[in-house]
Amino acid sequence: MSNPSSQGPSVLQFQNTVKDYGSKKIGPVDLNIGKGEIVGFLGPNGSGKTTCMRLMLGLIRPSSGNVRVNGYDPISKHVEALNHVAYSPELPNIQTFLTPTELLTLVLHELGFQGDKQDEIRRVLELVGLIEYRDTKVGKLSKGMVQRLSVAQALIGSPELLILDEPMLGLDPAGSAHFREIFREFVMGGKGTVFMSSHMMNEVESLCTSVLIIHSGRILFRGSSSEVIRKVLDYSVVTVEAQGLQQETINSIKEMPNVSQVTINNQTIEIIIKGHDDIRPALSDLIVKSGAKLYTIKTADNMLERAYIEALKKNGVDR
Amino acid sequence: MESIDKMTRVDIIISFIRYEMKRAIAKRKVLALLAFTILLDTFPYYALSTATNGTGFIPLAAYPYIWVAGVFGLQPLFLNFTAILIAAGAMSEEYEQGTAELLLSKPVRRNDYFAGKFLGGFILFLIILAFNILLSVGSAFTFFGPQASLEILPGLFIVQAFSSLIFYSLAFMLGELVRRSSLAYIFSSAVFFASFIISGYLGLIFSLTGKEFYRTVQIYLPTSPANSLPVQYASPLLPQTVGIVLRFVGADNTIVPTIELSVAILLAYTLVAIGIAAGYFWYADISRRMG
Repeated sequence: MSNPSSQGPSVLQFQNTVKDYGSKKIGPVDLNIGKGEIVGFLGPNGSGKTTCMRLMLGLIRPSSGNVRVNGYDPISKHVEALNHVAYSPELPNIQTFLTPTELLTLVLHELGFQGDKQDEIRRVLELVGLIEYRDTKVGKLSKGMVQRLSVAQALIGSPELLILDEPMLGLDPAGSAHFREIFREFVMGGKGTVFMSSHMMNEVESLCTSVLIIHSGRILFRGSSSEVIRKVLDYSVVTVEAQGLQQETINSIKEMPNVSQVTINNQTIEIIIKGHDDIRPALSDLIVKSGAKLYTIKTADNMLERAYIEALKKNGVDR
Repeated sequence: MESIDKMTRVDIIISFIRYEMKRAIAKRKVLALLAFTILLDTFPYYALSTATNGTGFIPLAAYPYIWVAGVFGLQPLFLNFTAILIAAGAMSEEYEQGTAELLLSKPVRRNDYFAGKFLGGFILFLIILAFNILLSVGSAFTFFGPQASLEILPGLFIVQAFSSLIFYSLAFMLGELVRRSSLAYIFSSAVFFASFIISGYLGLIFSLTGKEFYRTVQIYLPTSPANSLPVQYASPLLPQTVGIVLRFVGADNTIVPTIELSVAILLAYTLVAIGIAAGYFWYADISRRMG
């Protein structure tokens, strides 16, 4: 069921990669991530997401198989592989005694950055909205600010591949929207690539060009959000917001081809359709002709979440 | 191009040294150790001057060498234990907090990180050692008047630093192997105190039985060269009258017979410990944050 193919030239490759912890085995994983993608990496806790990320970063060795980052083995050719690769870990793995400026200075030294360090630090701190806190100890920053700093230390220098572990965790809605913009701009032009794990399905659905679902160390599905939804779900859901709908119109909707269920909640109607035919044009015609006021008609927002839950159910995970 | 790469690597190692020093200071261990050093290097001199005032307990001829009490008296316990306290947490605390992961996810060589951590902690130890020597001399001057033979202090500083390297390296290695700071402190301290106590018993058994085996084992325990070398280095450079001061602080008896053997044992322990730590660090997975 896995689909290891990618769009552009490969930046990340797993070839039959296994990590055996003794009590638990992750893999074999086959994966190929191309340049210019924003990949959402989904899976329940303990499914192997972090293990895969740590393999990419050369923090752990595969038990068998290969991992290649930019064509290099991240263990034996760590510097070559991770040149232009940046990682943002989950909270709160940043030393609390450092200030953002001190942390970013250390990172620039690690990267061997040759330009004006102060200018670069100012640039990323302004980008993530932390410039006012540049000299505040990390221990005194809020959870969301630490998350911003975690992303800032990944964006500093000239990275081409961002590996992000739950990058939106702890961010307010405005912060999440701002970061989505940053990541979109990062991949613009096809040079940058983002590989991010997340439990926030809406974020992944709206941001990612490609989705990977992993469970028990195996890639279950790979494709764009809509491809994954089509592969996993044998139904689609349309939500309608309208005023003045008569019972007769609702009955007509129920009688439309492939409609299997209609649920009404105030002015909102949820229609479940067998298969993935787009019934929205016919549906809107029907509602408008009935004399009701149609406000919105769209595919349900949480289709990826439904597909994700369904995919896990099919593989024996209930919650 | 290669020289630029070398410069960058040196720059990276220096960054890690600075980082490690800052980290250790932030843990407040170093401040506590400095405060303890002040206590150990001032109060005993004050007490000694009060107790010996006019009693002749310490002859006047030994007064210019009373600084020896502070410099040598702290080596057997305090300095070695300080080395353990600084080194045991250098690697293990980073694993516990998950911060090693962030630093090593960058395009840096593990060797550079290892070197920076090792040297950063050791430089901090050297600062405490220098502070201890200066404070001993200052206190001795304050309570017993002008001090003599101070020209040996730079050499003595280097010898004491080298002697402490054995427990610094052992604790650093254990921190890397067990990756939990509390266990690393316990194991390192256990090695140190076991060596200290067993050495005493072996010396006693040797003096009672005269069997060379016990003496030989005692010589090769890590505390023996660590405590013998500074005395072996300084004794020929100081006058006979210093003997009474050394006796007073229990540092007059060297267990290892020659200075060369002390150096050899110290080097062997240190290099093996560094080798094991480096090998394990290079090969093993980087641990995740522990709960």
